[in-house]
Amino acid sequence: MTDPESIDAEISEALNAQKKSASNRKTLGVLTVTAFAMLGLGFASKPLYDTFCKITGYGGTTRVASENTSDVSDRVVRVQFDSNTSKDLAWDFTPEKPYMDVNIGANNLAFYTATNRSDETIVATSTFNVSPVKAGPYFSKLECFCFTEQTLAPGESAEFPVIFFLDPLLLEDRRLDEVTTVTLSYTFFPVENPVGTIKEAALK
Amino acid sequence: MVAIYGDGDDHAHNDKPTFFKRWFLSTNHKDIGTLYLWFGMASGLLGGFLSFMMRLELKEPGIQIFASEHTYLVFTSMHGLIMIFFMVMPALIGGFGNWFGPLMIGAPDMAFPRLNNLSFWLLPVAFVLLVSSFFVQGSSSGNGFGGGWVMYPPLSTSGHQGPAFDLIIMGLLAAGFASIFGAINFITTILNMRAPGMTMHKMPLFAWSILVTAFLLLLALPVLAAALFMLFFDRNAGTGFFNPAMGGDPEMFQHLFWFFGHPEVYIMILPAFGIVSHVVSTFSKKPIFGYLGMAYAMVAIGVVGFVVWAHHMYTVGMDVDLKLYFMVATLVIAVPTGIKIFSWLATMWGGSIRFEIPMLWAIAFIFLFVIGGVTGVVLSMPAIDVALHDTYYVVAHFHYVLSLGAVFGLFCGFYYWFGKIFGVMYNNILAQIHFWLFFVGVNVVFFPQHFLGMQGMPRRYIDYPVEFATYNEISTYGAFITLAGVIAFFVMMAEAFIVRRPAADNYWGEGATTLEWTLSSPPPYHQFNTLPRVK
Repeated sequence: MTDPESIDAEISEALNAQKKSASNRKTLGVLTVTAFAMLGLGFASKPLYDTFCKITGYGGTTRVASENTSDVSDRVVRVQFDSNTSKDLAWDFTPEKPYMDVNIGANNLAFYTATNRSDETIVATSTFNVSPVKAGPYFSKLECFCFTEQTLAPGESAEFPVIFFLDPLLLEDRRLDEVTTVTLSYTFFPVENPVGTIKEAALK
Repeated sequence: MVAIYGDGDDHAHNDKPTFFKRWFLSTNHKDIGTLYLWFGMASGLLGGFLSFMMRLELKEPGIQIFASEHTYLVFTSMHGLIMIFFMVMPALIGGFGNWFGPLMIGAPDMAFPRLNNLSFWLLPVAFVLLVSSFFVQGSSSGNGFGGGWVMYPPLSTSGHQGPAFDLIIMGLLAAGFASIFGAINFITTILNMRAPGMTMHKMPLFAWSILVTAFLLLLALPVLAAALFMLFFDRNAGTGFFNPAMGGDPEMFQHLFWFFGHPEVYIMILPAFGIVSHVVSTFSKKPIFGYLGMAYAMVAIGVVGFVVWAHHMYTVGMDVDLKLYFMVATLVIAVPTGIKIFSWLATMWGGSIRFEIPMLWAIAFIFLFVIGGVTGVVLSMPAIDVALHDTYYVVAHFHYVLSLGAVFGLFCGFYYWFGKIFGVMYNNILAQIHFWLFFVGVNVVFFPQHFLGMQGMPRRYIDYPVEFATYNEISTYGAFITLAGVIAFFVMMAEAFIVRRPAADNYWGEGATTLEWTLSSPPPYHQFNTLPRVK
């Protein structure tokens, strides 16, 4: 242990150890940041996912349009109407007609009927999509009861309108050549803390 | 290949602390590794007990053992969670990773020894939280959480309003953070603390497998943590991340879960790949065939493993183009996996093969993993998967890669390093009995489940129509054989510790070339005070 070579070796080892612990701390920092970034990404996926669906029509998410300036085509598509309610909601909710045959590009008006079966006033809101999901990007709504919360007094019935058109861009999408039927589906859920028009604002 | 310069003055530092200090306040990577191994064994017994009760119940149609359907579902859910988070991960990564990660790269210990202690001791806490959920209200139908290990809402939110699932969330978060700390520790150790001359491209394949696994843990587990936090908020804080009535989407949970869940299956199998590589090379007395290809195949599996998650959820109604993408991406994984399988075979080819116990487990691993891999390729096709989704075919598939793949890798490493870890050798005949009982047993359990799945028997049901009775009965007999195998395993352990045949430094001879074989068995309490130099 006394010869100079081994002392040199010891000194260089000690220096190495110092360098090592500094680089260990640096690695620790980078990896910790990575872990937190992935945690953040997990939470960020919620707004990212919503935005992605709205932009791409992914998962049958329909579009919201402010006006319809398209030409009306000869191609006719059958639009079927589907209605569901959450088991916690004491409403009857049905489409007025089971289906409509619509020309692509034309504006259409359809009605759903809802009745409050309970003896208290209920506020409810609906989610929606279309199938086949690939028709989502071409299904545009000008006006829809689903944009806002709906309120029904005990025993009250109401007609909920939806104005929609099928975007003529659909004609150019070869993947939709086989589509002759599109189903529009709504599901109503009770709203525990009614917030008025926040949802409407979020949609626009 | 390896030479150590100077004997060092190791032995001056070789005093072991007192029992309490050594095992409860441990910062020594080998002691922590041993703790992980014992912990994995204990939770494996509980997880195995749950599955054994399930098999007893399914022996014949009707409800015989369980008091309620809910309890059966609690057993299936807890079996999955315990086996994944508290048996395979602690034993493979925590146990062997801690023991042989530092030894193989010539490091004196892990980079952050006290963080290592925290990683381990979070696990028993997590385990207590998880297991206590058995005894508190889960849903209106009884105690415990019965929503499956995948924990999909709304069954895990409005479907299980009792506190049982909150305990599970907290337990999994604790276990998850423990694994993230462990991953940070492993990556830092392997990147910064390799012995002089040990370049990345000379690093043993087991160290490579731990490095890739640690990166997968680091990137995947925080996403699970985020999903679990959201579930917790949805349940207890009135948020609606997964509640459609509040603008949320339950499908998003599935995306988040499987973004974690698919890398998780590679987290469980990659360390086994590493172990099997060493064992095949040792007992063929040849260096591993295509070393670099083997290392980068694991990296490729890790990378591609992050972009295939939605193949677990073909039935949610996704677009056909998306299914096409996920199918192709999934099939791509067969390429690096094939590289590994063929390289193992090429290593054996022309080698001087010895059928020692670890080699039996390694060959069985390769055989069973190929079966599980092939059914995986079948399931990757959306057109077939919509029919087989949630049937026993899927159960058979993932038990072939995990229960028969990862667990065989586990036993393979256990027998390979038994003498190195404990300093005593096992009895060859008892180990043979364990292997053959276990090998026959698990195959009899799971092979018939392929047929059950093809016939359409769904998973997660306590009862079934009489058409499925024959294969279910055979499968349950397999569970009895497996149980005998587990008993043989513990007899083998007891015998080895009672008789205490001392293990030589390198009891496998010239095929075993990695650094741990240059040390005594068991290695000194502190090793490599003078770093080994690798040429």
